[in-house]
Amino acid sequence: MTTRTRSLGPDDTSEAGNWTAGVRSRIVGLVPEGQALPDRQPVYVASWIYVFGVLTLAALGVVIVSGGLLAIGGVAWWHVSSLGLFVNSLHLWSVELFFAFMVVHLWGKFWMAAWRGGRALTWITGMVLFISSIGTAFTGYLSQANFASQWISAEAKDGLNSIGVGAYFNVLNPGQMLLWHVVLLPFAVGAITVAHVILVRRHGVVPPIDAADPSIESGA
Amino acid sequence: MLNALSIVAEPAGRYVHWGVVLISLTNLLVIVAMIIVFILALVVPFGSGKKQTDERERRQP
Repeated sequence: MTTRTRSLGPDDTSEAGNWTAGVRSRIVGLVPEGQALPDRQPVYVASWIYVFGVLTLAALGVVIVSGGLLAIGGVAWWHVSSLGLFVNSLHLWSVELFFAFMVVHLWGKFWMAAWRGGRALTWITGMVLFISSIGTAFTGYLSQANFASQWISAEAKDGLNSIGVGAYFNVLNPGQMLLWHVVLLPFAVGAITVAHVILVRRHGVVPPIDAADPSIESGA
Repeated sequence: MLNALSIVAEPAGRYVHWGVVLISLTNLLVIVAMIIVFILALVVPFGSGKKQTDERERRQP
């Protein structure tokens, strides 16, 4: 009887049909080596307009953390507690900054024609992210547990019925809207954000229109 | 009674009405502030980039 001896190191991907190895190689190949967290950037990135993407991410971090704290206290917490009111304000204003930073980021990328150099999917995921974020914010307004949320939901119901989508979900159902706000839509926003950031790291930040694109020059 | 009703019916905030455009003054000011931030982001020099590059080059002769 012979025994096959074969080293199975962590980088061994020769096993046919080994989906673990396949997933690993896909994850590793998502971005070029060293580009997941690069510490050097082309010289044109030294501009404040390139900062607004990461500012948006930072604001999103505060939105998620403050939203998590609000989830502990519940929707009525901010009505009865000064701490709850503070956390609610933190959540509101981080959302305001999130949108302000995102829109300045969008303006910058639009005037840079940031879809150039094979970056169309980066642009498209950014647009989808913007629209998803608006939906997430609107369901937040429906989760305030006050007269404003009632009024907004009634107005939204009329608007959504008028465009023919009112039968698929009910903005007058606060339970449904709260679950959309804290689970469904944040999951969508989070997943698209990850995809967007991976695409940015995969293709590199877009150069200004009059600058040379290093990814095209190097053939990457 | 009429005075009380007029307080209830009084619109919240001040609005700017220009043709078909109707926008609250607060929202208009926020948009103007964002445009100013956008312009500043384009024209204000980003100071630390050159310095960091120099330090890195000094460390790697």
